[in-house]
Amino acid sequence: MDRETVEKVARSAHLKLTEEELEIFSRDLGDILGYFAMLDEAPDCEGFGIDPIGVADVLRDDEPYMELEPDALLQGMDTYDNYVRGPRLL
Amino acid sequence: MSHSSVLSSLSKINEKYRMFRTVTSETDAGDAKFLFSAKDNLTSKDMETCSGSRILEGYRPPFDATSIAKMREAGGLLVGKTNMDEFGFGTFSTNSAFGVPRNPYDLERSCGGSSGGAACAAAVMEGHVAIGVSTGGSICCPASFCGVYGVVPTYGRVSRYGLLDYGNSLDKIGIISSNASDLGKYVEIMAGADPRDPTSCVQPAIGARRKLKSVAVPGDATEGVSEDVKKAFKDGLEALKSMGVDVEKVEMPSLRYAIPAYYVIATSEASTNLARYCGMRYGHQDGDLSLKFDDYFTSFRSQYFGEETKRRILLGTFTRMVGFRDRYYSKARRVRQSIIEEYRSVLSGCDAVLTPTMPFVSPKFTDISKMTPVESYKADILTGPPNIAGMPHASMPCGYDRDGMPIGMQFVANHWDEGVLFSAAEEWEKNFDAVRPEVSI
Repeated sequence: MDRETVEKVARSAHLKLTEEELEIFSRDLGDILGYFAMLDEAPDCEGFGIDPIGVADVLRDDEPYMELEPDALLQGMDTYDNYVRGPRLL
Repeated sequence: MSHSSVLSSLSKINEKYRMFRTVTSETDAGDAKFLFSAKDNLTSKDMETCSGSRILEGYRPPFDATSIAKMREAGGLLVGKTNMDEFGFGTFSTNSAFGVPRNPYDLERSCGGSSGGAACAAAVMEGHVAIGVSTGGSICCPASFCGVYGVVPTYGRVSRYGLLDYGNSLDKIGIISSNASDLGKYVEIMAGADPRDPTSCVQPAIGARRKLKSVAVPGDATEGVSEDVKKAFKDGLEALKSMGVDVEKVEMPSLRYAIPAYYVIATSEASTNLARYCGMRYGHQDGDLSLKFDDYFTSFRSQYFGEETKRRILLGTFTRMVGFRDRYYSKARRVRQSIIEEYRSVLSGCDAVLTPTMPFVSPKFTDISKMTPVESYKADILTGPPNIAGMPHASMPCGYDRDGMPIGMQFVANHWDEGVLFSAAEEWEKNFDAVRPEVSI
């Protein structure tokens, strides 16, 4: 895979790669996709789903309940005045 | 050895074998009925959960995974979180950010992966029950390399609530132990419908133990397999015949496509699952908040993800991109369905499909470091098929090579038919002379 494509994919995945990583992944992804090319000859099949077994919707009554205390969920996060601190948007 | 003696020796055992990422500080087992460990990608209230990744260092979940909660309710004491490849990305547990577990039969060799720490704990500590997680072979591979029993139930049998996802449509929680009878006993404890994981809510009850009467061996089951593994597998087949099990050869041509299809699906799902790790919600959050949000997220992910994690995120992002999705992701899902149908067809005429578990015995770390990614992925050639199909399967020790390294064979049953695997493991254990590793600390 050429370096430009690797860089484009990395940007999309929120990764910044070093020059060394670009070289390694360019070579490795080319090899891996070369191996995956055997899928082209695999027989097709209809009626497939996302999961390997059949699944059904699971619905519950729309009643509010609290399983975890908000304080427990905020533990370990950077917070102030009940807000979560994050990077700037603009 | 009493439970309390085990607890007091955990740190020392871990110094030698490095199977644990975290061990409990408890020294008194109290009235615990059994001791167990959990792979470090299952959330636990009393210990960090890092999934082998530096990016999650310091993450202390406020809740237990359903599998851990059920084991505690049954009287189990969680003694530690076991080492693993980062997010399950590996076959040898060498991609862990927190130390690499060492094989109890030869410290210079791998325990397998990605539940390498779990298999190591099961092999070293007699009677220990280890919860493992398998996406593409991460229970049976290490069970085979460490000479113990490992079972992966049907996809959906054990709730995935509290599991840090690798591939949602592939992840399965199972058990590794040196005792065959533990497989059924503890899967039955962890199994059951859980509304927090809808894929667990369609399951029928686990059926009664059913005697294994027949197995099918794919014609190319030993293609590319080492001579030592071939011999042990052949001996295993002869032993099964002497136990009254019918053995027949079958053709399963779709299985050759399982590994590329598995890696496409697994990395596609992983690349979206790992988007949540960006330095805000879990683990490290010590970045420069003056950065724009895209740059902030990117800086964390680039700094803390390991090499194999980056490789799989890139791969999965690429195979989902416009222009490539049909060729890779959509095709892989169709191939998965072909494999499921082929298993169902074969299993309509026999109880299990049998192959060796791994194509070779555990390699030395020096040899693993020379492997290319494709060579490493191909090591999953026998464990990948049942995993992509969501079929229950189990690895059982069946011999040893000339250096005394363990070899396993893998039984694959039909969806929801775990009973035949539990029974087969218990029967096999009575007929197989296991050689335990010499453990000294």
